[in-house]
Amino acid sequence: MTRLGDAEKSSLRVALAGNPNAGKTSLFNALTGAHHKVGNYPGVTVEKREGSRLRDGRVYHFVDLPGIYSLTAYSIDEVVARDFILDEKPDLIVDVLDSTNLERNLFLCLQFQELGIPVVGALNMSDEAAAKGIKIDVDALSAVLGIPMVRTVGSKGSGVVDLLDSIDATAGNRRAAFCNNSSSARSIHYGQEIESRVEPLEAAIDADAPFAARFPARWLAIKLLEKDANAYERLAAHKNATAIAAQAKESVAWIEKHYAKDAEIVISEQRYGYIRGAAKETVKLVKRPTLSLTEGIDRVIMNRFLALPIFILVLWGVFKLTFALGAYPQGWLEFFFGWLGGAVTSVVPEGFLRSLLVKGIIGGVGSVFSFVPLIIILFFLLSLLEDVGYMSRAAFATDKFLHAFGLHGQSVFPMILGFGCSVPAIMAARTLKSRRDRIVTILVIPFMSCGAKLPVYVLLAGAFFSKNAANIVMLVYAIGTALSLISAFVLKKTILRGGPTPFVMELPPYRAPTLQGLLWHVWEKTWQYIKKAGTIIMAAAILIWAITSFPIYQLPQSQIDSLTTSYKAKNAGADQQALTSYLETAKAGASLEYSVAGSIGKFIEPVFRPLGFDWKISVATVTGFAAKEVIVSTLGILYRVGAKENEESVGLRDALRADSQFSPLVAFVLMLFVLVIPPCFAALSTIKAELGWGWLGFAFVFMLTLGWCLGAAAYQIGLLAGAAAPAVAS
Amino acid sequence: MVVSDAPAGASFRVIGVKTCKEVGKRLADMGFTEGAEGEVVRSGFLHDPLQVKIRGYDILIRRSEADDIEITPVGDWDTP
Repeated sequence: MTRLGDAEKSSLRVALAGNPNAGKTSLFNALTGAHHKVGNYPGVTVEKREGSRLRDGRVYHFVDLPGIYSLTAYSIDEVVARDFILDEKPDLIVDVLDSTNLERNLFLCLQFQELGIPVVGALNMSDEAAAKGIKIDVDALSAVLGIPMVRTVGSKGSGVVDLLDSIDATAGNRRAAFCNNSSSARSIHYGQEIESRVEPLEAAIDADAPFAARFPARWLAIKLLEKDANAYERLAAHKNATAIAAQAKESVAWIEKHYAKDAEIVISEQRYGYIRGAAKETVKLVKRPTLSLTEGIDRVIMNRFLALPIFILVLWGVFKLTFALGAYPQGWLEFFFGWLGGAVTSVVPEGFLRSLLVKGIIGGVGSVFSFVPLIIILFFLLSLLEDVGYMSRAAFATDKFLHAFGLHGQSVFPMILGFGCSVPAIMAARTLKSRRDRIVTILVIPFMSCGAKLPVYVLLAGAFFSKNAANIVMLVYAIGTALSLISAFVLKKTILRGGPTPFVMELPPYRAPTLQGLLWHVWEKTWQYIKKAGTIIMAAAILIWAITSFPIYQLPQSQIDSLTTSYKAKNAGADQQALTSYLETAKAGASLEYSVAGSIGKFIEPVFRPLGFDWKISVATVTGFAAKEVIVSTLGILYRVGAKENEESVGLRDALRADSQFSPLVAFVLMLFVLVIPPCFAALSTIKAELGWGWLGFAFVFMLTLGWCLGAAAYQIGLLAGAAAPAVAS
Repeated sequence: MVVSDAPAGASFRVIGVKTCKEVGKRLADMGFTEGAEGEVVRSGFLHDPLQVKIRGYDILIRRSEADDIEITPVGDWDTP
């Protein structure tokens, strides 16, 4: 089969690359319109967006590479971009360049050129550059660098046709460029000294023809001089690998002696030197810079004393809007699923199927969907802040404090959101670029006590600390926050140890976001949540339903009779309705007690003895994995006051106080335990989606162990301190 | 002299990045290379992190990273 020449190929695979903040996403949208697909790069949680465009019978298939500054192997984004280009060999790379910031953007562009794949430069945000008085001679720049350049404005969609024309022309030239090797002849000249070391290495690599066909020799030679570990790994496939590695190391030593600097720094300096030379002839500043709007705003927003208060205000606004605005649609969804459950109940006869449909599936799916409004609003606001450019300012305001605990300035948003709901908070940690920072942040988010845990605290604090209920609840929140900071510190000092992650972060100028971009972002995040979390949460909801429903236990008639008699004796004059509901609760309690969940509760009771918990509390914490507020309704069932009980209910509070097993100390330990143990299934499945099974397992064991240890310590210390211990006489 | 010695508003010219693997390479890749001109724009509460203008754009770096960038002063540092 003969391979079509690139000029005639009916479809082209184009990688869209560039620096962060260069307007890559809006150009991607302008190029591909609505034809998107979002997934992940294999094995990592870096988002991979693909889209296509049809023009004159040719399909342009675009893959959006993560935004990066360089092609070292220091960040996961860089590794993903490099591996995609080397292993998947796209037909062409479009490098999106921020025209207002050309020198640094070209630094990456020239590295793509060395990879031996045709590059087209999109001089994006050219309108902004013109407004700033930056004049770029596009033809001259293209000629000097040997890279075709096209002016674009991604947010307005202009320049797209020119860009596609340029892609056609460049793809057509590819073969010619490859044959006479002019693309490599055109790439950066690193200066006489370095070139004298690159050339022999290049020749040595070229000696193995099949190998050189896979990896561009010049690129590899330079990477070897940059001491890139991955380049040495790839070299291993070469037939003279050992000799070449030795030669490269000898050259590195020579360069470092000659320049008295690290070789990788020398290479970067030479690249910038080359860019400076090219820019001098082709880029002119025709206007003196005046005080920009960005600088004017930053004088307030980034003021030393105002930055943090303003940040707290912004955060409060996001928090308030998300949970206040989200409460309405959340309520509607809950109402809808409640109605649906009712409708199914009236249609499906009582029994196994009805129970599975109503309690298992509708209940489970309902709990998944009730988070969706929160996620939509939250990600709209976060994307807005990110697109406007506020995120870097937030990191500026908080980094000093968070860095002391081994966290990153950007961890602050996800962590505070954790007070609302861990699910969107964990997803928000994606804004963190370093994987280690992201792992630490996600692992400590569940300690930021979420909204669903509040009913548990209100119930227990109300029942046992009626005078200082609010203070006790505040104390639990404070303990949670302290725990998240301390665990971050410990994790960073132990299993997630490593060199300091550099806090090198671009501060982009403020830019108006595009509505289309925002909506895409929100849609992608929401859909991912529904897809990934939905499957796992539904399975978990069915599991919880199953272990609380089976084996089916019927309260024997004799016991019902005796309960009826004793109830009537105690409550003379009570009406039939009260009696029925009392008996319903008793039946529910008994069936829960004899279900698998009840057996588990009783089986693990000894484990919880050191914390002062009995089997009822054990069962409640198990069912709490469905959602933390379920702990309250489970206690309601087990204490025979009714499943409809809520945290404000006097009946349940009285019942808890009447139980000799409970005491203020046990109540406090339970609050602490609920705070620290692993979060609900929705949050757990989100951790799995973001970090994988391994980290999920670690998080689970870590939180469970910590919760148990803290609970046991608190209980035992409390006992020793003579706090009201439960009556032992039983 | 290093970037962290420069007061807010001070301009400088980069001499080089002191050797320290990842941080050094990253700073060099972001444009802190010999001869590049820059300016410390402002610093945060407790003077950390720093906002630095380099090669025409703004970047945030921690004081500890700014300690690794050697510079010479440009212009008069005392007049704001």
